[in-house]
Amino acid sequence: MTPAILVGTRKGLFVLKGDEARREWELEGPHLTGWDVFHAVKDDGSIFAAANHDVYGATVQRSGDGGKTWERSEGLGLPEDTGLTLEKTWHVEPGHGDTLWLGAAPGVLFRSDDRGENWEPVMSLIQHETRERWNPGAGGMCTHSIQVHPTDPNTIYIGISAAGVFRSDDDGKTWTPKNKGTAADFMEDDRFPEIGQCVHKVLLHPEQEGRLWQQNHCGVYRTDDKGENWERLEDNGLPSSFGFPIAINHLKPNMAFVIPEDSVRGSEGEVGGGDRLTSGGRLGVYRTEDGGKSWGLASNGLPEPAFVEVLREGMASDRSDPVGIYFGTKSGSVFVSPNEGEEWIEAARHLPAVLSVEVAEW
Amino acid sequence: MVTVRVPGLLADQAGGQKEFEVDAPTVRGALEALPVRDLLFDERGELRPLVNVYVEREDIRAGNGIETALGGGETIRVVAAIAGG
Repeated sequence: MTPAILVGTRKGLFVLKGDEARREWELEGPHLTGWDVFHAVKDDGSIFAAANHDVYGATVQRSGDGGKTWERSEGLGLPEDTGLTLEKTWHVEPGHGDTLWLGAAPGVLFRSDDRGENWEPVMSLIQHETRERWNPGAGGMCTHSIQVHPTDPNTIYIGISAAGVFRSDDDGKTWTPKNKGTAADFMEDDRFPEIGQCVHKVLLHPEQEGRLWQQNHCGVYRTDDKGENWERLEDNGLPSSFGFPIAINHLKPNMAFVIPEDSVRGSEGEVGGGDRLTSGGRLGVYRTEDGGKSWGLASNGLPEPAFVEVLREGMASDRSDPVGIYFGTKSGSVFVSPNEGEEWIEAARHLPAVLSVEVAEW
Repeated sequence: MVTVRVPGLLADQAGGQKEFEVDAPTVRGALEALPVRDLLFDERGELRPLVNVYVEREDIRAGNGIETALGGGETIRVVAAIAGG
């Protein structure tokens, strides 16, 4: 199998195909030209893309032939009695069997049990008792993170900006907020509410039971008890609390990667999000190897200075050994580290703004 | 029968077909007969706000809108709104 990267951009989907060492990359595409590809994933031979267009709306597109031809999932929408209309599709996550999950705005989730032929809105989330207290982040009220337990299909985590993290223990029938210890520094009257946190990305560690990582508008967090309690981690080595993406190492549960933006200290009462540029004009990938107790730069090979943005879907890791880390910038570069952040290679440049990066095999 | 012409991005979504011959009494009926109807209408059946439709070069929003009656032989053009430069 050939390593590949699905690169969703503001102007379609590109595929980078690599050599076995993950050092040489060839660019293919664009596919879905003209569409904003918020996220794409390859599962069981098919590519699924959350593709949006300012004129023609929000879609899920499928390709069974590596991107040559595409088929749209029709009938995607929200029931009239909800008072909601579909705004954007954000993230497609494969579940167990033929199930796929689709995160979308405004703060909604869809489920397909026939590999994307038909999608049904998850009404338990639409009718959630806390929904009135949810608010959109700058990117809309998006359900952007969906993490399904690798062996237990009943356990699903989602992240919604700005509602927070929710967990289902019953295959999506009910959802419980899991935000204890997660700050909402922008809420002066209640910095630790039940819901309303601006989660930017949540990842479930596939091997270490109960462990999740989170980059939030207000800090970097880890939980070891399935989201019951979150520990804030960024005060030892990170230049900022603020950032969007996060990546993990499936072989080393204590390793994670973030790309901080702005230069704010949540611990000092500051709230990030004003600048949305790499901290200090440095494209700094920061790595922890001790579960977030300390962080260090892992930026060998990255350009400096570099005033860029990496979006919430813009970073990924593979399942190789050593683990490869990947990220794309809004200025159109894709960087690859074939060795856990020890060094970085620019795999592509001058692409349209990169919205998402996902690892695949070809 | 009327002729409906769609822009390139919609043609891509319709397997490469740019022009359609359809039999419909109204513009709505003509557009709903297309394989890209879900891209033209939202889930409430409303024409998406940035989709412009012209019948014989007349903007339907300046007349009877999506329910504009068709007599047969007209050419309908779907054009994405241009904004922002």
